[in-house]
Amino acid sequence: MNIHNYEKLWLVLSMVLIIGFISTVVYGATAVGIEMVNDEGGTIDSTALEEDERFSEPRVEKVGENEYAAYVVARQFIFEPDPIEVPANSTVTFYVTSPDVIHGFEVVGTNANGMVVPGEITELTVEVNEPKEYGILCNEYCGGGHHTMEGKLIVVPEDEFELGGQSDE
Amino acid sequence: MSGENTVREIGHDEFDPKGTLALILIYFGVLSVMWVFMYFVEFLGNDLTVLV
Repeated sequence: MNIHNYEKLWLVLSMVLIIGFISTVVYGATAVGIEMVNDEGGTIDSTALEEDERFSEPRVEKVGENEYAAYVVARQFIFEPDPIEVPANSTVTFYVTSPDVIHGFEVVGTNANGMVVPGEITELTVEVNEPKEYGILCNEYCGGGHHTMEGKLIVVPEDEFELGGQSDE
Repeated sequence: MSGENTVREIGHDEFDPKGTLALILIYFGVLSVMWVFMYFVEFLGNDLTVLV
């Protein structure tokens, strides 16, 4: 078969593009450590969240040197706790679940975004840097009040951070 | 293949679509730049990326 040289060239270029796309995604997954939100969070009885010590009282907990766990309940039409306060320059793992319907958990303007399914615990770990205030919103239609369902993630300076919620000012 | 109106006849390898080649190279450049921008600047540069 006689293939023109130019045609060979652009066939090769398209292969280079495909290989480039795949290798950047592989680079992100290995060198940068980007994770997909999956089912590793496990399951829970969505009708008995108050009997689960993690979710009976949604809160932020210190789980290690500079590591925090945020137990969040997304329900029609709020996020608990609200606001979620975490210290700057730490690693935060969100455990989010729902007692009623499917919700979304999206830290607005960032890549932290997951689906919250009743009976499942959505686990996502992020690294927070400097103090900043983020919005959280539900991005899965969850009922009549869906458009009002929002929360806050407040990254406070390390020296102002207190476990157990709002620093009283 | 040659008719009365044929001005010049060229073989398969003599026909070089330079314009098409230039377009494809431009598209290639645009795609590469946009991919790098989208992945490394917009995606990785966006705070709070879900990590291990």
